[in-house]
Amino acid sequence: MTGAANLRIEMPWLLRNNAGLAGVLVLIALVCLVGAAASDRFLSFNNFLNVFEQTTDLALVSIGQTLTILAGGIDLSVGSLISLTSCLTSGLINNNPDRVVVVVIAVLVLGTAVGCVNASLVVALRVHPLIVTLGMGAVLQGVTLLYALGPVGRVPRGFNFLAYGRVYGLPLGATLAVLLCILIALLLRYLPLGRQVYALGDDANSARLVGLRRTRILMLVYGTSGFCCAATGLYLAARFGVGQPYTGVNYTLASITPVVLGGTLLSGGKGGVVGTLFGAFLIALLNNLLNFMDVSKHYQLVAQAVIIILAVSVYVERRRTM
Amino acid sequence: MKAIIASCLSLACLAAAAPTTAEAQYSGAPRTFLFNPALDVCIRDTAKFKKAPPYVIGFANAGLGDSWRVVGLHSLEKAAHDHADVVKKLLITDAGHDDAKQVADIQDLVSRGVDLLIVSANTSQALDPAVTQVTERGIPVVMVDRRVDSDNFVTFVTASDAMMGRLFAQWIVEKLNGKGNVIILGGQAGSSPNENRVKPAMQVFGAYPGIKILDTVYSDWSPVKGKQVMQAMIAKHGHNINAVFAPHGLQVPGAIEAFLEAGWKGNEIPPITSADMNGPMKMAIKYKFPLLDIDYPPAMMGVALDVALKVLAGASVPCVYTINSNIVLTHGDETPSIPHPDMYVEKHVVPDGPDDMLVSGGMGPDYNPSTFKIDFPH
Repeated sequence: MTGAANLRIEMPWLLRNNAGLAGVLVLIALVCLVGAAASDRFLSFNNFLNVFEQTTDLALVSIGQTLTILAGGIDLSVGSLISLTSCLTSGLINNNPDRVVVVVIAVLVLGTAVGCVNASLVVALRVHPLIVTLGMGAVLQGVTLLYALGPVGRVPRGFNFLAYGRVYGLPLGATLAVLLCILIALLLRYLPLGRQVYALGDDANSARLVGLRRTRILMLVYGTSGFCCAATGLYLAARFGVGQPYTGVNYTLASITPVVLGGTLLSGGKGGVVGTLFGAFLIALLNNLLNFMDVSKHYQLVAQAVIIILAVSVYVERRRTM
Repeated sequence: MKAIIASCLSLACLAAAAPTTAEAQYSGAPRTFLFNPALDVCIRDTAKFKKAPPYVIGFANAGLGDSWRVVGLHSLEKAAHDHADVVKKLLITDAGHDDAKQVADIQDLVSRGVDLLIVSANTSQALDPAVTQVTERGIPVVMVDRRVDSDNFVTFVTASDAMMGRLFAQWIVEKLNGKGNVIILGGQAGSSPNENRVKPAMQVFGAYPGIKILDTVYSDWSPVKGKQVMQAMIAKHGHNINAVFAPHGLQVPGAIEAFLEAGWKGNEIPPITSADMNGPMKMAIKYKFPLLDIDYPPAMMGVALDVALKVLAGASVPCVYTINSNIVLTHGDETPSIPHPDMYVEKHVVPDGPDDMLVSGGMGPDYNPSTFKIDFPH
């Protein structure tokens, strides 16, 4: 037994079973080191809370995306669903505090239902999820524009608390995202249905041969993804105070980046939501660092893309040699 | 009352201190302030924000999508350079016209410990909660060019969009003797400078039944797209077009080119409105068509820094800080509402300057946006 193997045994199970998570933590540490050299305020607790808060939207949508990718699929309707739920939240509440609870529940149910429709179409039509969800995305964007061509409605002042409020000093939205992430991580690990998500993503044929119920698994993962999109739409309505028909457009592709950074295989079957959460945190931290370093928006886009490509390629290379 | 007088004097002083471009411009207090019929104006007491220099000031910019915003940013950098004795750092972020990024930028600037935040909001509604949060944390916010919906900031530095829109429309009505067809050559649909000029203009047009709006088209403030949409309008309406209302000059050179390429003689080009840009004035002189230019000076971004320093010095400031707009006209196109412009185009144009030069930038005659570099504290 080598020293390296001994070290491997001493690592916590989360890191041992998810090398991507270890990778993303190393990258976070690197960004922190550069940030500390750039500004003495970068590593302050206030800035940590600031970045934590800015992680919320990407974390929420990416957690749902992780499940669809783990099961061997993908959800390209997330951006449009976020736009729709954000507009509905703002438009239906329309500055009336009495409607908040009903609309929030309705929007979460709608998001979950759209996810379940995605799953049903994948099963019934036997079409790849990429095509089904891409089509669903176009339909949802059209519906959103039929509902609102521009900013619509308004949310009451108190609703902004979801995006900007602090509970015991912690950002409310980000804390809820972490709790959701932990809940899903536990379900994936300890529920039979959760473990079946991995089995389906790892080898769909074997999963079918051993009798796993694919429909139920897909309903779970796409339903959860829809729920997460609705939660993101609610959060963005709170953050901007208004719903906008194109507010989610950037999230379709952006939601995949934290999943990959967090170590989930794009082919499915391996990874987890905790890595995704740290992946989203890494992206928010990187944006924050580039702002601290006065790097212009144009260079920021380039820097982000280069770092993500490098990080993922290093991870892929390392996995090949394992 | 003292506060009001002091603020008015400060407005006049700022106006007098404003740098000149090709020719001396109107240098009095803003006419929109002087002609305001209200007996009282909103003045903000800023004593609670008073602190000793040096200051760290943040600027959360909506983005740099056109030459107006580039000159505006340079004007701000120049102001920081001029006030390097009291400005320790000017931290600038660029949201690339993305609301989510600008909200994060604002939070990052606060996290970096700014004493005051200048914001040019990408959209007025979506940035409102973030700006309100900053104000509630006790950090003064100065809005410039684009405000948020609520009044949760100290002051808004702007030129009068409404005055521009009304005067443009009134001039067109009078040039057409109350009867004719108008094309609205808009900028970016939904953006506050476009909507806040077009809406008052439409009220003026609405008062004259003989005025017909043929079409409203959008150029996204681009001369290239301005040319494309005007070509389509010329193809559709031909010589029925009697005037063109443009809420800014960025798209106007393209529209004029469209008329020329469609075979219109220079003096057949209908009355057209513009703002800030050198190109339309050069063309109006060369082809002899009627042009009204009312500036919306990007120098307001530099003024925003001056105002920010006043706030941090505890001086009272108006709730809306309107800066001057020069009224510039072609010879022979005076109307009852504009019998005497501030100057004629020959005095405002920079004959050897490029078409996309903004003559109202307050950056001096040698200014070139492509090569401009200035050492400012950051």
